[in-house]
Parts: sequence; structure tokens; C-alpha cells
Amino acid sequence: MVHTFFRRARQIFLMMFFAMGLAACDINAVPRYDEDTKAAWSEVLNQYQRRADLVPNLVETVAGFARQEKETLTAVVEARSKATQMQLPPDILNNPEAFKQFQQNQAALGGALARLLVVVEKYPDLKSNQNFLSLQSQLEGTENRITVARRDYILSVQKYNTELRTIPGRWVAGVLYPEAEVKQTFDITEQAKEAPRVKF
Amino acid sequence: MARFIRGRDTYIWAIRSLALLLCAIHSVAGHPGFAAEPKFPQLTGRVVDEAALLSPPVRERITGWLAEFERASKRQLVVVTVKDLQGYPIEDFGYRLGRAWGIGEKDRNTGAILLVAPKEREVRIEIGYGLEGELTDAISRAIIEKDILPAFKDGNYEQGIINGTAAILKVLGWEGDTPGVTVDAPGSAQELPPIPLLILIILFVIFRFGRYGIFTGRRGRGVWGARSRGGFSGGGGSFGGGGASGRW
Repeated sequence: MVHTFFRRARQIFLMMFFAMGLAACDINAVPRYDEDTKAAWSEVLNQYQRRADLVPNLVETVAGFARQEKETLTAVVEARSKATQMQLPPDILNNPEAFKQFQQNQAALGGALARLLVVVEKYPDLKSNQNFLSLQSQLEGTENRITVARRDYILSVQKYNTELRTIPGRWVAGVLYPEAEVKQTFDITEQAKEAPRVKF
Repeated sequence: MARFIRGRDTYIWAIRSLALLLCAIHSVAGHPGFAAEPKFPQLTGRVVDEAALLSPPVRERITGWLAEFERASKRQLVVVTVKDLQGYPIEDFGYRLGRAWGIGEKDRNTGAILLVAPKEREVRIEIGYGLEGELTDAISRAIIEKDILPAFKDGNYEQGIINGTAAILKVLGWEGDTPGVTVDAPGSAQELPPIPLLILIILFVIFRFGRYGIFTGRRGRGVWGARSRGGFSGGGGSFGGGGASGRW
């Protein structure tokens, strides 16, 4: 009798212990951080799209004043079409090659736009054109939003990956979320190269 | 109980305890900080004049507009001058400051910041997500170029800040009593408020001081700028890097 009583008590005790352990481990952290990274990624895509949408207008305006800068303009148009036409695979966040490709395409567009804005310095008429000034400030604002969106994404992925790779989270994921994978993230150095710093 | 602490049970017990301990440590220690943040000034009111560019009457006046603007529209605009940007680009400093203070309504993100860094000679209008449609980058840029920078170039920071604030408020649909804004010449008599208003002010002051004691008013926040209870604080809005910057 005493024997079964202790056995039962021990069972209950262990179950409580286990439940407490799980609660302390926060078993929902992995899916929650996963959703955060997805939201942050959507914002990145959204801001890149916004930049791409500005390009046709910008190219047209610049071409009106500086037709001889054909090379620079063509480079921008080509970089844009390359960036927007890339089919993003659904697993892009876990796919190093696709992710790298995406990043390179966007960096190429950023670089082409930066060169365009340097070339523009030679055309005072264009620089004082209201339409151009407006586009330029929008482009500048969008580049800044891209930087912010990228940083937010980097931070969210860092949080997610850390959860997935450090001990309690790793065990939780191993048991409950075997499909969870470490995600790709931007490297900041490339961003520093790409961001056009326009002087006025 | 003796049996419970022996043999294989002991082993399992030890493993479980260890796991739980790790979990506990994990949840207490949390994750290490991911990114260094600049040190932000304290949000002491709607006008935070760390660089001391504004005289008290001007500060009071702007605070009054901003308070009135929030009452009318639930939106928040904050004017900030900083001693320096601690090596951060102003764009970077601006949105982080906005997030740290949570300017603007939560979820609607209707906040904006006019940030002036006299040491770096940079100014920025930082726009919360929810106001980006109205106070666009292009409009922000125009305000900086037309209303703020000319005065700043003359070294007249007060006038530039007053003009800029008034222009931003106008774009956001609030005109209030901002027309013809000029800095009062030193010594010029300030217009006295009409008598009923005066009585109200006195009653308000008595009520306020009677309830909270004379020294509760925080610096940088006048009786006018204060909400009926509590100090000024951000509503929890967020920022995504919208706006424009200028240099002089």
C-alpha cells in the first residue's frame, strides 16, 4: 500500500515538474519568433518593391534632361528588371543560394541608382526640377526605410536562430517543431556599400 | 521516500533538475542585447531641448501648440534638440529615438519628431508609419529646405524650429494659433489672456498645486502643455525610417 502511494506521488510530482519545466522554456517561442521574422521579411520586400516602383518615374525624369547619360540609365532599368523579375522561391529564407541571389540583385539596383544620382550632379537644371527633387527625396526616404526594414529583419532572425540553436529552445524545437530551420540573414557590410549617400 | 532517491531514479532526477535549472537560467538571463542603442535624452515633455536652443517662453509656446494638436487629433509631434548624435547618422538616431519613446498612438503609429542636432548641423523630420501618407518624404524635405534651413543658416535656431513646427502642424491639418509666427523681440509685452481665461488658469493652478504639491510640475512641461493628469508620454507608436533630413 505504502509502495503504490509513493509511486503515485512520485508520478504526479514528476509531471508537475515537467510542466513547470515546459512553462519556463516557453514552448511557443519558436513559432512566435518565426512569425516575427516573416512579418519583418514582408516589410523588407515591401520597401524594396517601393523602391522599384519609383525607378520608372525617376528614369523618365532624368532622361528628359540628360539623354546622353544613356548608359547609366540603361543600367538602372536593367538592374530594376532583374530585381523585380526574380522569382522568389517560397523557401527563400532557408535557401542560401536564392537568398544570396536576391540580395545581389537588390544591391545591384541600389548601386545603379547611386551612380545615377552622382551623374545627375552635372545637370543643374535637373537638380532644380521640382519633380526630380520630389522623386529624389522619396528615393532617399525609401533607401532609409530599406535600411530600417533590413535591420529589423536581421534582429528578428537573430532572435529566432538563437532560440533554435541554444539549449532549451533547441530541445523544444527538436521535440515539437522538427521542421524549424535556421534562417538566412543579410550581411550588413554589403548594405553599407550599397546605400547611396546623396549630398546636397 | 528512501527508494525514491536511489539508483536510476536518482539519475533521471538529476537530468530533469539540470534541464529545469537551465530553463530557469535561460528565462532569467534572456538573450544578450542584439544591437547597441544610442543613449537617448529623457522624454521630459513635448519639447526636449537638450541642446538649449530655445528660450523658456518659446518652449512653452511650442509645447502649447503640440499639446493642443494632440488634443485635437490624438497625434503626437515632439520637438527634440540633442547635444550630439553620438556618432550615429541622424536617420538612424531619429527612428530609434522615436521607437524608444514610442511617439504616436499605439498600432496607428501617428507620431512625428522634429530632431535638431546643432553640433552636427543636421536636422531631420522623422515620420511614424501612420503619418507617412500625409507628411511624405517630399513634403518633409520641402519643409526643411523652405522653413527650417534658411533660419538655421542665419544662426536663428528658435525661428527655424518655430517655423518648422508650424509647417508640420499645418500639413497634419492643425493650424491653431500658429499664423505669423515670429520670435518676440526681447522685452516686448506679451498679450494677456482675457479675464475668464485668467480665472480658469488660476483655478487650474490652484487645483493642480493643491492636489499634487507645488513642485510636481516637471521641467520642460508647463501648465499649458500638461494633460489633465500625469506627465507627457509616448503612446507606443513605431517608426520605420520615413521622413527627410537636411544639413546646413
